[in-house]
Amino acid sequence: MIKNHFNLKAQVFVLATLTICSIGCGSDEPSDDQIEAPIEEAGPDSQLMEIDGKVFSIPSPIQTAMLIKSSGTNYNKDILNEPSRVTNYSTSFKKAINLGIYGADLGYVTMYDQTQDAISFLTAVKSIADDLGVSSAFDLELVERFEKNIGDQDSLLALVSDAYKASDRYLKDNEQNDIGGLILAGGWIESLYFANNAVEMTNNDDIKTRIAEQKTTVYNLIKLLTPYYSKPEFTPLVDDLMELNEIYEQVESNYTYVKPTVDAANKTTTINSTTTINISEDQLKAISEKIMKMRVDIIS
Amino acid sequence: MKKSNIIKSLTLVFGLIAYSTSFAQCDSIATLCDKHISSNFISDGQDYRSLLLEDEIAEFSMTLYGGSTYRFAACSGLSDGNLLFSVYDKERNLLFTNTDYANAPYWDFKINNTLDCIIEANLNPSSSASGCAVLLVGFKQN
Repeated sequence: MIKNHFNLKAQVFVLATLTICSIGCGSDEPSDDQIEAPIEEAGPDSQLMEIDGKVFSIPSPIQTAMLIKSSGTNYNKDILNEPSRVTNYSTSFKKAINLGIYGADLGYVTMYDQTQDAISFLTAVKSIADDLGVSSAFDLELVERFEKNIGDQDSLLALVSDAYKASDRYLKDNEQNDIGGLILAGGWIESLYFANNAVEMTNNDDIKTRIAEQKTTVYNLIKLLTPYYSKPEFTPLVDDLMELNEIYEQVESNYTYVKPTVDAANKTTTINSTTTINISEDQLKAISEKIMKMRVDIIS
Repeated sequence: MKKSNIIKSLTLVFGLIAYSTSFAQCDSIATLCDKHISSNFISDGQDYRSLLLEDEIAEFSMTLYGGSTYRFAACSGLSDGNLLFSVYDKERNLLFTNTDYANAPYWDFKINNTLDCIIEANLNPSSSASGCAVLLVGFKQN
């Protein structure tokens, strides 16, 4: 198995260069140089192969919304993106990343049982999804089922999550992984923005820890979006994530392996390993400021 | 048309057919795999997939939050038990492998402390030589 030996900046540079070359350096009749310089030229540690061989996961924004609510943080409509802004987003990039933002907002308002707001966000989500060609995931039947299940929070959260999974499936079937990656990025940025806001309101330690726990997810997100770095709209987003990653690199964490316990009859394994994370107030502030700037760029 | 161009064109056509067939296969497998994420779990909203040949290994990197229980459903082909999967921590300690449990197509993980993990999946060699590996993830609060 090929391991990660390059730093993240070098990986982005190598992959972006290879991507540009794969698009721009081709011709009908390849030169001798091109024939004699296959992909192995990047060496056995080629990060292109590593990226292709791995799948990166971004946690559901609903999980962070659940933590925020359970921490006792009050509902705050002012932190959400305005559903009426949906008509401002004209490019596929803006539509996709704001579909992620609105999805996280929809999860948040659903967690707090804000029915009327939920309908507004669902309408915004449906509008963008139609524009992006993923209307099959966010169809009228979903809206009807959502309205029928109002009051049943678990069913509503499951409906929203299943719709986002269906859109992810559709986009992968149609080789639109760039759009899928942007939706995930938008949802994650919005959930981190919620968490930062909740810390400002409550100074809750569990939410501070949740913010600190995003170190690997930032890295995964960069890996997920790096193949599209050469596209003009992706470049500043990935650059911002790299800057965020630099802040996260300073966050200390210590992992201790403890043997898991297994309940085979119930097909359950309990993971007993522990992780302690130390994040300073300055680091939290730097993360909060960076996320706020990124979000303003996205929703404007 | 030069002979080499004809060969290139045929290779491209066959490649595209195989590729689109594999994608269609992924979609069917993912739909079948959905049944393992029961209604008490909320999907994480993603559809993880990888096309595998022979002994290739797909690697999925994810963070599991403390205070949650996750369900992993791992599928390939049209029946259960075709995908072997193992869960490792970031130090590559083995936390679970379904080969110890009759290639169980799904398993639950109760997470006390947030964990960065790696899931490796490969095809059951006795079932198929190539195919699409699908991993679905659901979660619930403890």
